[in-house]
Amino acid sequence: MRKDIAYSMVTGLFLAALLAVSATSAFAQGQPEPPGVNPAGGGVPMRSLERLKAKAAGPTPRAADGKPDLSGLWGPEPKFMGDISNALKPGERLPLQPWAVKVSRERLSKDDPEANCLPAGIPRQTPFPFKIIQTPKLIVILIEGNMHTYRQIFVDGSSHPKDLDPTWFGDSRGTWQGDTLVVDTVGFNDKFWFDGIGHPHTEKLHIIERYRRPEAGHLDYEVTIDDAGAYTRPFTMYGQSPLLQNAEIMEYFCNENNQDVAHVLGKGRPAKE
Amino acid sequence: MRTKLDFLVVGVGLLVLVLLIGGALPALAHHAFVAQYDASKSTTLQGVVTKVEWTNPHARFYVDVKDKSGNVTNWNLELASPNALRRLGWTRDILKVGDKVSVFVAPAKDGAKMANARTVTLADGRKMVAGIAAEQGGTQ
Repeated sequence: MRKDIAYSMVTGLFLAALLAVSATSAFAQGQPEPPGVNPAGGGVPMRSLERLKAKAAGPTPRAADGKPDLSGLWGPEPKFMGDISNALKPGERLPLQPWAVKVSRERLSKDDPEANCLPAGIPRQTPFPFKIIQTPKLIVILIEGNMHTYRQIFVDGSSHPKDLDPTWFGDSRGTWQGDTLVVDTVGFNDKFWFDGIGHPHTEKLHIIERYRRPEAGHLDYEVTIDDAGAYTRPFTMYGQSPLLQNAEIMEYFCNENNQDVAHVLGKGRPAKE
Repeated sequence: MRTKLDFLVVGVGLLVLVLLIGGALPALAHHAFVAQYDASKSTTLQGVVTKVEWTNPHARFYVDVKDKSGNVTNWNLELASPNALRRLGWTRDILKVGDKVSVFVAPAKDGAKMANARTVTLADGRKMVAGIAAEQGGTQ
């Protein structure tokens, strides 16, 4: 029996050592960022939101017009940060065209628009909250970071203007389909990256987002990317944001003192493709 | 008896795992940690705070570190952003010029005297881990 115990202790320590070595070498080789202080990723900023998550969930709040009220301060979804393929259905892969695979592999972290304090675009998120303000004809999304900015979604029955100049957030028009807000966006530039890896897109990008608030405490969304310039077919990603309470949007002007990019080397994460 | 020892074995394994993963690197808000800092060269710097910048995208503080031969190097140490730090209970006066601090850092890969501050032990002995006080659940 003592032999048994000694054997199991040795095995345990050996396994621990093996795990230690494999974990350490993974870090050293610049593998994807380890779980860090928050298992979901996003590090300290994500952790700072943990205790703000609404504890009690109630029924879907309704606006005066009977539509679900999506208003509130919402936490970000880590699946839309480092690598958007995390937001696909399990087992799916991004249908990248060959040139898009090449670009994803070659892009370096120092050139990431987000690291350079430029807007994240859609669907990329950053580890900071966003605030939805819903009125009957206009829904505004206030974005805390990485770029302190906003989106406007017109829900007044209007169509996209013709001859749009390409922009970081495009032109968004919303319609209600039952309890789902469907947001159609076109008019994008090709400057932003979909994620930290650098998955690209072109000005042909057309995004359809579907937002639901099945109960008070969560915002569920599907994001369909249709970009025949960079992907071989449309694909859909899925995310969820927690309602945050007793908190507000805070100021975050990234270009105030951005000393990092001069010291950023290589890729943040290797591309999976 | 055997059960207790088996628990011990599992416990040691788990402890090692927790230390490795729980104390691992913070992902940064707007740029990739692994592209900028080398955690395998993590070290502890001791010195005196010379400047504090409560700015975005990262709060920073600068520390004069004296080596064995008396040469002083000023290190530029990065924290999270003020919004995240504030939400975790930090205030902008937690670090003050003249404070003696001990900081566990991951240094810059490019050799600059710049590092990500992972654990900061303040002049009054409080230990701030990745932006949160150790006694509030910080891991390291």
